[in-house]
Amino acid sequence: MRIENAVFLLVLILAVGFFSYNVQRLIGYLSIALPDDRGGHPLVRLKNVITVAFLQKKILRDPVAGPMHALIFWGFVVLTAGTLELLLNGSFPAFSYAFLPAPLYGFYSVSQDLFGALVLGAIAFAFYRRLVLHPARLEGDNLEHSDALLILGAIAGLMVTMFAVNALELARDPDSIIRAKPLSLALSMPLHALPAGLLTGAHALFWWTHALLVLAFLNYLPYSKHLHIVSSIPNVYLSNSQGPGPKGVIRFLDLEAENVEQFGAADVDQMTWKDLLDGYTCTECGRCTAVCPAHLTGKVLSPRKIIIDTRRRLMEKAPLLVGDRSELAHHTLVHGEGDEGARTVTEILEHRLLDNYITEEELWQCTTCRACIQECPVGIEHLDHIVDMRRNLVLMESRFPPEVLPTFESLERNGSPWAFRPDDRAKWADGLDIPTMAELVERGESPEILFWVGCMGSFDDRSKKISVAFARILQAAGVPFAILGQEESCNGDPARRMGNEYLYQTLAKQNIETLTRYDVKTIVTFCPHCFHQIGNEYPQLGGNYEVIHHSTYIERLLEAGRVPFDTDDGKVLTMAYHDSCYLGRYNDVYDAPRETLRRALPIVTMVEPERTRDRGMCCGAGGGRMFMEETQGKRINVERAEQLLATGADMLAVACPFCMTMISDGVKAKDSEVPVFDISEVVASRLRL
Amino acid sequence: MKIAVCIKRVPDMETRFKIAASGTAVDEAGLKYDMSDFDGYAVETALQLNEKQGPGETVVVSLGPDVVQEQLRKALSMGADRAVQLKSDRVPADGLSIARALAAELKDGGYDLIFFGRQAVDSANATVGPMVAEMLGLPCATAVSTLDIANGRGTARRDLEGAAEIVEFALPAVVTIDEGMPRARYPSLKGIMAAKKKPLEVRPAQLGAESLTLEKMELPPERAAGRIVGEGPGAVPELVRLLHTEAKVL
Amino acid sequence: MANFFALAESRSGALRRVAFETVSAARALADASGGGEVHALLSGAPGVASLATELGKYGADVVIVVEHAGLAKTNVEAVAATAAERIKAGGYRAAIFSASAEGRDLAPRVAAKLGVSMAADVTTLELVGDALVVKHPAYAGKVIATLKLTGSPAVVTLRPGARAPVESAKDARVESAQPAVDPAASKLVVKEMIVGGSAKLDIGDAPVIVSGGRGLKSAENFKLVEDLAAAFGNAAVGATRAVTDDGWRPHSDQIGQTGRQVSPDLYVACGISGAIQHIAGMRNSRTIVAINRDKDAPIFKVADYGIVGDAIEILPVLTAAVKEARSKG
Repeated sequence: MRIENAVFLLVLILAVGFFSYNVQRLIGYLSIALPDDRGGHPLVRLKNVITVAFLQKKILRDPVAGPMHALIFWGFVVLTAGTLELLLNGSFPAFSYAFLPAPLYGFYSVSQDLFGALVLGAIAFAFYRRLVLHPARLEGDNLEHSDALLILGAIAGLMVTMFAVNALELARDPDSIIRAKPLSLALSMPLHALPAGLLTGAHALFWWTHALLVLAFLNYLPYSKHLHIVSSIPNVYLSNSQGPGPKGVIRFLDLEAENVEQFGAADVDQMTWKDLLDGYTCTECGRCTAVCPAHLTGKVLSPRKIIIDTRRRLMEKAPLLVGDRSELAHHTLVHGEGDEGARTVTEILEHRLLDNYITEEELWQCTTCRACIQECPVGIEHLDHIVDMRRNLVLMESRFPPEVLPTFESLERNGSPWAFRPDDRAKWADGLDIPTMAELVERGESPEILFWVGCMGSFDDRSKKISVAFARILQAAGVPFAILGQEESCNGDPARRMGNEYLYQTLAKQNIETLTRYDVKTIVTFCPHCFHQIGNEYPQLGGNYEVIHHSTYIERLLEAGRVPFDTDDGKVLTMAYHDSCYLGRYNDVYDAPRETLRRALPIVTMVEPERTRDRGMCCGAGGGRMFMEETQGKRINVERAEQLLATGADMLAVACPFCMTMISDGVKAKDSEVPVFDISEVVASRLRL
Repeated sequence: MKIAVCIKRVPDMETRFKIAASGTAVDEAGLKYDMSDFDGYAVETALQLNEKQGPGETVVVSLGPDVVQEQLRKALSMGADRAVQLKSDRVPADGLSIARALAAELKDGGYDLIFFGRQAVDSANATVGPMVAEMLGLPCATAVSTLDIANGRGTARRDLEGAAEIVEFALPAVVTIDEGMPRARYPSLKGIMAAKKKPLEVRPAQLGAESLTLEKMELPPERAAGRIVGEGPGAVPELVRLLHTEAKVL
Repeated sequence: MANFFALAESRSGALRRVAFETVSAARALADASGGGEVHALLSGAPGVASLATELGKYGADVVIVVEHAGLAKTNVEAVAATAAERIKAGGYRAAIFSASAEGRDLAPRVAAKLGVSMAADVTTLELVGDALVVKHPAYAGKVIATLKLTGSPAVVTLRPGARAPVESAKDARVESAQPAVDPAASKLVVKEMIVGGSAKLDIGDAPVIVSGGRGLKSAENFKLVEDLAAAFGNAAVGATRAVTDDGWRPHSDQIGQTGRQVSPDLYVACGISGAIQHIAGMRNSRTIVAINRDKDAPIFKVADYGIVGDAIEILPVLTAAVKEARSKG
């Protein structure tokens, strides 16, 4: 071992040591957080890592930045092998991969060269994109470009120095074992003429530059948003955004737990460690914010800012909580709007994430549509942050938009978000010969399915027509069914999404009690909120039922030929279907409604809006937004109606009563006469009488 | 300040009421109960006054059977400090006897202010507040829509029919709270938890003799089903006639 | 045969309609009892005595006039003390106040001073044996309670408008009296009286609301809604969420789940289809009129009277008709 090897080994040990110190420091900060069980289902989680991380499935949803990032990522994976060889070789000159069988080593050599070039090309494009194209999603939220540019520059530097090292080596020794590297070989050609001493000196210089750049890059990560290189794979593994289990299920809050005095989160130490890991993982790519319906319509909410703020606040407060007073803890290169004022220890401890970083206004603008989570390539779950902070607002501080009060009060008193009388719940069914569960039980019968009508279907005059249409289909198909009538009450979704877990659990427990009393097994509903809530979230409270959305149920009936259709095919029309978030992104039901429409109207041409299926845009009603004012920016329902009308469709179809209200209103606002129908109304209109 | 707020448990007014078999009460089956709306405003007003004006005590008082403790707890969960139940097996129809019982409780309480809702939304009498004021020899501002308290004096706005007056009074005083004052806050879960530990005293209500009795309760005649009067401007005269002769709103 | 007491309210130097209502109701009871007398108490600033004869027209036999500079503005404590003193001295069978803001303030104090029970906001009064039996709408008007007052005197407040005043000419004797207590000693004083409709009627208080929806097509067309409201005289203007969202009207005008919840005597919905969000805020109105182009619009489900047609065409005609109806009285 020569002296420079010893020196390098020392540098290497120091660099790796400092890096691991910082990683431990960051992991230590997670200890201030609440527990969260993210174990179990290793195969599903591994599958997520393979598809989302290694195959870059989500990254590639962006046709421009997607391939660019995928190349850099795959390049990094491949080049890391070379980097390891280089670092080991620098410390132990005898080390190289030359012991590998020749074909394998040759393949390795070629791959290094090839990916080096691809990465360089991708980096060049990345520079061009940032400096010339200025994509909208990389702006806003007080983002700075310096961090990103530094990283891009560093990667470019790594590639250039790598090629320089290889080319110089080949110039010095054309028979070197690395001669299989075609690009390096080509680069070495003009260098042969240079004096050997110069070649050796230049080689050493570039080698050291490259090696030190690698180590500097490594140690820069913990202070940069590019920490995602380290945290994204664990975060994807630990994320529930792609399963295991149903998507979008809100964390259970044990309200009866002894000695719990904080409900929801007002600061980082009241969040779970996964929420904080989300913060470490965010690369500020803005895919979330770019699809956020609130952001798109000019509101202040930006899901990216929520995550960046979580990280900023964590980096500010966690060192104090874990007793880390080192200077190193105070240097970060994270960005975003937030609390610039608090700097003394007292000030920092007096401030908090809510209010000082994230405003109430931002939190209430969320429609819980899951578009942000769907797009995030690193498994961040923005909604956990938002709902937890809403919970703190409602459960701890009783703070919410004033217009929400009647909704909470009506839910409490009447079991519906509107102050309608519970005894009027089944009025829509008057004269339709639809039995209630109570009546059936009295007769000693039990139905095949329970038709869960929902509050919209019970009280909203437009939605009552959907209730009637669906009931007529069931009757025509000869399905024995019943409704709960007065005994049904709101499933609790609006309360839960608005952070009122207490009210939610009261409603849910009451419904579970009713369903258990009637020994209900199968529930069909046309409200995607009821569908998701009862099917996916009631199990937290011990309610387990098979819940089917009417789109799926009608499709099955159609497939089985149980629905008697009129022979008249109707008019030739074009129709666009609007995806409900709670049906689509929450439950992956995209095809059933479309297939139902196709079967019911075989001569109709289906057209798709630009944003459709898992990219569909929210109507604006979710997350309790139905019951809140929308005062800032453009109205979401109008924006969505414009997108749907732009397809030129003669008719719009929905599969959710809330979407029905929002889209109909949006269409009206555009002075359009295009009718909006629920899929069941389309089917019912074809029934043979 | 030490503020007492008298609250009443009332059924939800959205209900379609039925008359109980006795014929002198509404059928209680299926009714949901809450604090009377204006009483909620009164609790809120008291809490805000004490929050803004420094240390104070907000005491809620309700008369009736043990079920009224539910509403007292709600007031405690909003932030009231303690509660008193004046226990009686029923709430009499005679406001005077209620006023007597409340006055006896409040007389030596040392309250700076005694709040009531303008009226209970069920019985809709608006009599108990001013009666208590009279019994205690206090000034009483009824149905106020604004209220300022400063330096031991109160200023309030009362809306009259087609007019309004600004009244001023010395404390201690009785004030009945109307629309326009802040709506009751929604109790937080934290408040609900804290309320479980707050004191709730139960004392017998000293009602005394009654000279008003409830003879009968009945439902008003059913509202006729709606109808389309006609189409276009030509239907206007008929509409105006109906509004005048049938609905009597013109 | 028994005598009855009525409180006659005046404001700004004129008797209020409710004064005739209480006197007239007392007259009917006195007649029913076999011909007793009606004594009305009229108090106010010096000069108020001139109003006494008018009370005779509605059946007052005696008008007790209390003139005092300290009664120029409402003085509840002094008037209550005076009324209580007179009622006690007069041995009346019943004392009738209006369930107006002033009457609701006075009557409970008087009843408490006399130590008798009272019935509030009654719509009918009837003598049954020794008792006075009254009807009182309760539970937001959804239940009518029949109450029996057995104390003497019986104190009641009469719902304004429930019983039209009936003329029954008497030559009222005027009896001057002094306040029972010094009006200047009142602990509560009226600092300022705001009279007249200068202040915009709030949608929460207005007995009539004229409300517009997107069917009006533009912010400018809200002029038609305002015109109709002005024609009613006691109406406020409301709007749907779609309209306030579009900025045609301020957010404070919004009626519905996320706006104000109202229950006026008359609600006129113009160009409103009746989305659940809106219905939730207005369906407790006593009478609902809907004007909408779409005959299937949900608003017609809650309306008492509907006209199918374009609100923009119908509103001017309705405004003219309402003006005419009101000018006829």
